[in-house]
Amino acid sequence: MVAKSVDSYRFLHGIEKKVLKRWANLPQETNIPWTPLAKPLSMCTVSLVSSAALALRIDEPFNPEIERRDPWFADPSYRVLPRTVRTGDVQVCHLHINPAFAEQDLNSVLPVERLNELAERGEIGAAAPSHYSYMGYTLRPERLLRESVPGILRQLRQENVDVVVLVPV
Amino acid sequence: MGLVQHEIEAAGFSTISLSVIPELTASAGAPRVAAIEHPFGMTLGRPGDAAGQLAVLRAALQAMEEIVEPRGVVHLPFEWTSTEKLALGPPAQPPIAQYLVRHPWALPRFLSRTPPLNGD
Repeated sequence: MVAKSVDSYRFLHGIEKKVLKRWANLPQETNIPWTPLAKPLSMCTVSLVSSAALALRIDEPFNPEIERRDPWFADPSYRVLPRTVRTGDVQVCHLHINPAFAEQDLNSVLPVERLNELAERGEIGAAAPSHYSYMGYTLRPERLLRESVPGILRQLRQENVDVVVLVPV
Repeated sequence: MGLVQHEIEAAGFSTISLSVIPELTASAGAPRVAAIEHPFGMTLGRPGDAAGQLAVLRAALQAMEEIVEPRGVVHLPFEWTSTEKLALGPPAQPPIAQYLVRHPWALPRFLSRTPPLNGD
């Protein structure tokens, strides 16, 4: 049996395909951090992070005007989504994807209900109380890293999270 | 996403990205990547396909256990067999695309990811 090799560019065409190929071939980050998995998944608390710019409808939406004013940048803030969140509770603010799929079913980009099911089945220890989202497209990530990531890390620690699954879009 | 993952891993959490463009995610310094050949906006699977989404999430978590050193990439075996034409792009052209049409000389900056320093 031939093992599957994922084609990163299968669903891309034209200029988008060229751009992403070019970006993937830029000099790579060589210093990679490493936190080994400390215990079996069945004992781990797991949290999710999505770059689809998901905001609760009762929360402040991500501001698309920031990116419209300066297309090299995007709203650097983040939102917290409780593990009880469901599809209709969320607004998709990302300007580079078709939001229709996530608006029909949040689990297509942020698998909150699937994670809860894995916890009920005992395959993971627990779904963390909170998940996180930010606006993924930006060529200037400095403010996102400086202003938003520390808050996410603080809450991950408070909720005793072991494992984080990130879902880029 | 690779950059954010990099920071979270460095802070002491075990992380994995479930990525439809794994080459790009890996190049940004992601310690673990589960590669999946799904369309943009449907990383886990189609809306309403709970069984498919569960299988993908489970496989991504298993990949987390399989990867034992930094920069590990596991190619998940899921096949997207539908030939249905999907509208994968955003409803409106993203701001950067509109900008580059008006400022074509900025294209090299975009391709090399070296934005002008002003702004924000």
